[in-house]
Amino acid sequence: MALFKKKSLASVDHFGDTFKPQMTSLIDILTLLLVFLIQSFSAEGNLVTPSTDLTLPMSSSKKPPKPSLMLELTHNGVVADGKQLTANESFARDPDFLVKNVYGWLMAQKVKIGKAETQRQIILQCDRDLEFNIVKRIMFTCSKAGFTDFSVLVIEE
Amino acid sequence: MKTLSLFTKTFVPSDAIEAEIDLDVKPMMNVLIILIPFLVSVAEYTRLAIIDMSLPPNVTSVGGAGQGEKPKLKLTVVVAPSYLCVTLGETMLDSIARKGQDYAYDSLAARLSSRRLTADVKDEVIVAPRDGIQFKHVVRVMDACRKTGFDKISLASATENPSAGK
Repeated sequence: MALFKKKSLASVDHFGDTFKPQMTSLIDILTLLLVFLIQSFSAEGNLVTPSTDLTLPMSSSKKPPKPSLMLELTHNGVVADGKQLTANESFARDPDFLVKNVYGWLMAQKVKIGKAETQRQIILQCDRDLEFNIVKRIMFTCSKAGFTDFSVLVIEE
Repeated sequence: MKTLSLFTKTFVPSDAIEAEIDLDVKPMMNVLIILIPFLVSVAEYTRLAIIDMSLPPNVTSVGGAGQGEKPKLKLTVVVAPSYLCVTLGETMLDSIARKGQDYAYDSLAARLSSRRLTADVKDEVIVAPRDGIQFKHVVRVMDACRKTGFDKISLASATENPSAGK
């Protein structure tokens, strides 16, 4: 049969003794990749982890975040330490601006932190499409609990 | 007669050089293969930043003005659904209409920089969005304020009906 009579590729003379793959293009790609990765290299790493439940707004701010107390304001509710403290619907139309569950959590954190006034700063992770009404109420609650040093987490442009 | 070696040297075509020099790229490849996974693991694709802000002094009760002293008026940027306006106290200084989905942030920065020259407080501005404004617009307005030179940004709430308070 013709199938069995077919010569193997290795025995063909014009292929020569050894096969040398062309490495230049591969090294070019790896070098470009290396340059890109070195450019995005960060020795510090991310000290603050953004929540996966929200999309942060973009900003031209360059100030790096420091680890501190954090509240996540998502579409559905207010989250802290991975637990939902309250749903947005429960307080969005409330005449009282103070959000009780959030206030309770903040007061507990205040006790943990102690008397150090300098540590009473809070980072708010707000969804970019969230209404200001929600943010306003949370900020008011934070200020009532003694956290008046606010920062908003954003994605650097 | 002896000649300089520079002139007697015969230049070999590039093809011939390539055939003769067999560059060993294996060590280079090994280094790259080790280095790339390490760099991928420590690379930062999205950079995070923070914007510092505060509440207006009447909310925090930590005002700059002393007892009985009248507080200095600060420039305020009101963010409404259809426009942005720059006010000083109860006087509206500028109004910028919203164009489509976004506000004219560059125009706001230009107006603010001209108003800043005549303002009593040159380093602080109050951003006052209405309730329904999306937070991304608030951040953009704060960016415009910082670009203009205002270091301190206070966040307040704009009333839906300003004349109702009178």
